[in-house]
Amino acid sequence: MTHLVVYLPLVLAGLFGSLAPGAARRLPPRIATWLLSGGAVLAATAAGTSLALLAFTLLAMDPEVAEQGGWSQAALRQNDPVAVPVAAVALAGLTVLVACALRVAVRRIRALRQAYRLAAGMRERAGELVVVPSGEREAFALPGRPGRIVITSTTLRSLDAAQRKALLAHERAHLVHRHHLHQAVVTVAAALNPLLFRLPAATRLSCERWADEDAADGAGRSAVAEALLRLGLGGHSEPMPGALAARGADVATRVQALRRPAIRLRVWRAALPVGVVVTALAASAVAVDQIHTLLELAQAATQAALR
Amino acid sequence: MRIRRAAGDLESEVLAALWAAGRPLTAGEVCDQLGAELAYNTVQTILARLYSKGAVRREQAGRAHAYSPVLDDAGLLAQRMRAVLDKGGDHAAVLTRFVGALDAEDERVLAELLGRQSRRGKR
Repeated sequence: MTHLVVYLPLVLAGLFGSLAPGAARRLPPRIATWLLSGGAVLAATAAGTSLALLAFTLLAMDPEVAEQGGWSQAALRQNDPVAVPVAAVALAGLTVLVACALRVAVRRIRALRQAYRLAAGMRERAGELVVVPSGEREAFALPGRPGRIVITSTTLRSLDAAQRKALLAHERAHLVHRHHLHQAVVTVAAALNPLLFRLPAATRLSCERWADEDAADGAGRSAVAEALLRLGLGGHSEPMPGALAARGADVATRVQALRRPAIRLRVWRAALPVGVVVTALAASAVAVDQIHTLLELAQAATQAALR
Repeated sequence: MRIRRAAGDLESEVLAALWAAGRPLTAGEVCDQLGAELAYNTVQTILARLYSKGAVRREQAGRAHAYSPVLDDAGLLAQRMRAVLDKGGDHAAVLTRFVGALDAEDERVLAELLGRQSRRGKR
């Protein structure tokens, strides 16, 4: 019965993936973002460890591997609680998922490097704010060293002083708190573990909420909400391709959150998702220990046979 | 939260005000634009700093200077920006945009929220 512990992280990662977005909406966005990104990494690690352990039981049966490790194949087969088909599926799954995660990671790193190059290419005399003369309404934070806030002239013209201040503070918050890294980490974790598929969108919303709250501290909640409404209704020339398309719906959520007072931290709201992740890690540790014990038994069997 | 804001933050705000105005502004006019927030002397210092960096140009307007933003490499910049956004996917995902793409339903919800806001404002 105890060998079932190796499957526990897989179940718990799925549980975290399904309940973390809901919990994040009821937490202050700063805490929520860390919960999502930290939790995603740990849950994906724990679940990945389980798959690796299951896959390892198959590899350990290989005569050459067994000889290298100095354990008895027969003893291992006798004590090994993992059925061969299960181990085979785990091995295949792990291979595919690691390949996916690597591909996603490489693409994201390339995109971030391009952003950094772009930011560096803007002349030094351009300060934090880079204005692009354009009829389009666009405003975004460009990560880099230093990061830049890129806003079109039309955007600035359509806002009053308080709203401009809110917009600048919002984009600055993205750069200062390195939201692009939170999002990159969660995207890779979700590629490594598809059970976490809801977390990238939840993290994106949480980062936007965090920047909104930061901006509200200096510019006031209503100025941030008004800037959002003003730019949201300005009419975008064309819908953005890819991942960004889903983001529009977040604007209404953000405006509504700004209409209410800032969310106070209630620790118990984070307790369940944190507990799930901690349990997954603990289960992982126990599973590693069990496989280790199994191998030691199999090694002892070889030594007994030699004597 | 932050008691004293970094000088860079204020530079951005002043520069944004100049862009928003669409015509040269004197230090006094920038002050009016920004509301009671910044002292006249502070604004003047910031404008002088922006001028020494080459981010704004100035012309004589009566006894004062009127400042307007300098656009440099702007076409190239705009082109690069569009190129990054048009690639979509990861390239656009690293840029955290203030407002993403909105579909008709999103716009309707926002219009409703805006309506509620202006009604509240009138009361």
